[in-house]
Amino acid sequence: MATKESLTEAIAVAGSGAGGIEKKKFSPLLWIAENGVIVFTAALILFAVIFVNGFASLPNITDVFYRAAPIGIVAVGMTFVVISANYLDLSVVAQVATSAVIFIGISNLYGLLAGLLVATLVAMLYGIVNGVAVGFFKANAVIVTLSTTFIGLGILRWLSGGSIFFGPEDGPIRAFGQARLGPIPASALLLIIITLILWFVLNRTTFGFAVRAYGSNKEATRLAGVNTTLVVIGAFVITALAAMIGGFALAAFSNTAVSSMSDGYEFRALAAIIIGGTSVFGGKGSVLRTLLGVIFVSVLTNILVLSGIGFGFQQMAIGALIVVAVSVDALARRAAKK
Amino acid sequence: MSQHTDHSTGASPAPEATPQTMQLGAARGGFLSQLRVTLARRTEGRGLALLTVVVIAAAILEPVVFTSYQVTLGRVALIGLVALGLTAVILMGELDLSVASTLAVSGVVMASIPDIWLGVLAALATGLIIGAINAFFVVVVGINSFIATLGMLFALRGLAFVLSDEEPVRLSNIDAGIAFGTPLLGPLTPRVLLFIAAFIALQIFLSRVKAGREFYAVGGNRQAAMDAGIPVRRRIFTGFMISGFVAALAGVINTLERTAADPTAGSTVLLASFAAAIIGGVLLNGGRGSVLGTLIGALALGILQVSLTLSGVQVDIQDIFIGVILLLAVITDPANLRAALAGVRSSFRGREKAQTPV
Amino acid sequence: MRNSRITFSALGLMAAAGLVLSGCAAADTETPDAGGSGEETFEVYALLPQGTDQPYGTTYLPPFEEAAAELGLNLTITNSQYDADAQASECEVAVAAQPDLIILWPAVGDTVRPCLAAANAAGIPVTVTNSDVNPEDKDLTEAYSGPDTYGQGVSSAEIMCDLADGEEFGILVVNGLTGNSTAINRNAGFVDTVEANCPNVTILAEQPGNWNKDDSQIAVSEMLTAVGPENVDGIYAADDTMVAGAIDALKARGIDPEPLYITSIGNTFLGNPLVVSGELDGTVFQSSSWDGENAARLAHAVLTGADYEENLFMPSVKVTAENADDPSVAPEW
Repeated sequence: MATKESLTEAIAVAGSGAGGIEKKKFSPLLWIAENGVIVFTAALILFAVIFVNGFASLPNITDVFYRAAPIGIVAVGMTFVVISANYLDLSVVAQVATSAVIFIGISNLYGLLAGLLVATLVAMLYGIVNGVAVGFFKANAVIVTLSTTFIGLGILRWLSGGSIFFGPEDGPIRAFGQARLGPIPASALLLIIITLILWFVLNRTTFGFAVRAYGSNKEATRLAGVNTTLVVIGAFVITALAAMIGGFALAAFSNTAVSSMSDGYEFRALAAIIIGGTSVFGGKGSVLRTLLGVIFVSVLTNILVLSGIGFGFQQMAIGALIVVAVSVDALARRAAKK
Repeated sequence: MSQHTDHSTGASPAPEATPQTMQLGAARGGFLSQLRVTLARRTEGRGLALLTVVVIAAAILEPVVFTSYQVTLGRVALIGLVALGLTAVILMGELDLSVASTLAVSGVVMASIPDIWLGVLAALATGLIIGAINAFFVVVVGINSFIATLGMLFALRGLAFVLSDEEPVRLSNIDAGIAFGTPLLGPLTPRVLLFIAAFIALQIFLSRVKAGREFYAVGGNRQAAMDAGIPVRRRIFTGFMISGFVAALAGVINTLERTAADPTAGSTVLLASFAAAIIGGVLLNGGRGSVLGTLIGALALGILQVSLTLSGVQVDIQDIFIGVILLLAVITDPANLRAALAGVRSSFRGREKAQTPV
Repeated sequence: MRNSRITFSALGLMAAAGLVLSGCAAADTETPDAGGSGEETFEVYALLPQGTDQPYGTTYLPPFEEAAAELGLNLTITNSQYDADAQASECEVAVAAQPDLIILWPAVGDTVRPCLAAANAAGIPVTVTNSDVNPEDKDLTEAYSGPDTYGQGVSSAEIMCDLADGEEFGILVVNGLTGNSTAINRNAGFVDTVEANCPNVTILAEQPGNWNKDDSQIAVSEMLTAVGPENVDGIYAADDTMVAGAIDALKARGIDPEPLYITSIGNTFLGNPLVVSGELDGTVFQSSSWDGENAARLAHAVLTGADYEENLFMPSVKVTAENADDPSVAPEW
């Protein structure tokens, strides 16, 4: 593995992407581009508190957390793959469902610990297969994770028979799903804890530096002596472990698991990451931003449902939001450069 | 998937201004060496190998696949049409994730208009407009195409639900739809004929027309393409509009053949189109591949699916099959194998130098 | 006629290959009784939109396959995963294979007419299972067996209307997956009946629950916030999985579900205990085994020219606290 000095060198070579070199002069446009998600989230929440009936009530705050928790855990994990300039991990859709079915199905038979063990092993397998294909064979991440999605969902449906699994009413998974600290559900606390851990990994460890450096400049990072294959495998393993925990949170919330329960998770997680401001070019981004992105999307969906707006308009709003968020970023960046 | 992207498959070489899509006729020169050179430059090898295996297996196990070839061709056209349009975008190193939603929206637009020809025109125009909007975000605003079309994927699907009131929209002229589904030329239905026409048109455009050949340069090395005076922005506009148009065409064909537009249509289209293009040797980072490759990929996938369906293999197992083939196709890409080999070599060298195990 | 000879030889080859393969794979299992018992066997294609990828399909298939084996139907089953285009393509494959009969479970009801027309032109009879085709397409099919999805919505609404008993009533509605035909039909049945039979029941809000418990749970909780929990007297969800989510949403907010009037459709492993416990006031039994078995029996009746009902509806049995323990409504999926 690389030494700390060589890595620092790599990051220096990698340039502005990984470090904070953007301290030249203050530009309001650039500031908005950089911190857009904070501004937009604050504005949206303010708007909702004033104009949307019931938004600020305690049960509704709980609902927003419930919306945010499972997808949020998946998204903060997937941020690692995005920052490593590998676009996304499509297979989280298979990973989340597999984990949920394992947690409920295996725990019913052999107890929660066995479920946790099997789910962890399967998650490691996903991470390693994706990581080796992308990191070692240098294959495109979109196609690799597309194929592991086909394989993973196929195996899950084949083995689980597409049945709904549900846990006992008095089991530990149910207890976790119902546990709350004031208005904050346990799954949301889990999201916050995982976000903090992953923040630490990304910003305070050699591995985290390596992921960001690799995302900024693959060649320079390799030349600095970093084992880039391991960096990529690491990013995919972290994503897979987070997806595993996200699957647990999802299963615990409803105390059920079925192979179709995570449909759409891959693109919803990516949407949250992008709205948070993590660059899909890699190198730049943070899990805290992703957390904000998840909160933004959850609040927005919540507002739309509270206002009785139908599914079609909800989809249009989220799509438009992705494009607007990224357009503002791109335009502001360009204006700031001039 | 844009000029900022590092080409992880290190092997997409820069001097790619000469397209690799030479027609098979080029090998007729007879010189063995020339043949070898041509073969080495072709990108469809693995697709062709897969196709051969699939064809032989199907011929032995499920000959119905060939005795009723018009059905198999129908399936190939279903998978392949959108993939053809997508190829034009991928060749430039861009992506269009919105094709499936485009297909659904244009179908709904068409079915909502009572006059069938006006409906077809409106649907195709919808596809062109969507392509132009995608290109606008990519070229003018400067967003990565992956994100821009991801946004469009959501927005257009939502639009399809809103326009259709969340229900399938029946054609007002159902007989015209049923007539459209019947064979037109010999046993070939209009779907198959349109697919062949789209293939020929794109093949000629991308290998014989200057603007089309420049797609390869745009995808291979964008800076070099700009320096060479290629109007990169205009080419990207063209590419996205081709993709949008072809997706809309698929929406029109589906709507006519089914006599109704389904706002949920196309759920399997996006992934199948990608699979066809990749198996056919189209490089997702741009600059390498051919429409012929995509056709081969679609043929292999289509024949595989029809044979598995005829054998009564359940969908889960079919998905596992396709996933494994796709994974093998992408890691056995010559460029990727070379990268892997280089990785092994350099790690050994690194070990010698460091004298300590990693 | 040449075509059919080719097909026959092809089928022969297939059968031979199948025999060889099954012989190799399972030498110790019983030999296929094709022609063995002297009874006629039939080639049948079953075009389904789900299979082992959905809970219902998973429990629909075994009784379907068992009945088919018993009756000498040689099944080839496809699963289009609710993609109408994929199913249309599978239909072309089926018509080309010239089976004795096609069993169709439409992925999207509005899109199957061309498939039916092609089968008719090829002289292949079609029976329909689980979700019926549109009325104007009925003349192209031989018979239908399965639940009356519209009727299920009607039955659930009738339970709701009885419970409301003329009072002014506000309810929340949770629908199935947006755009899905079963979701559309059940909703139409419910809404039409409420409008006709008990206009005193008002739908305060509706959202899709995507047949998922977790989606429904959040949607119901948010609808409660939107309309105010004090205004809600009842909830209707289009299936038991989603109603279980709705009940959980009530409990999570500290609202006792028992005084509320809650109805749904399914009587599944998830729903039946809720009826027994009194939290769910009524559901409508959908028996996957009835559905699967009768699909095969009806096809066999059509093939052998036996007497059959053209519309064999699964009885829409209402399951309430009175009969929830009854073995005849034991849940199946």
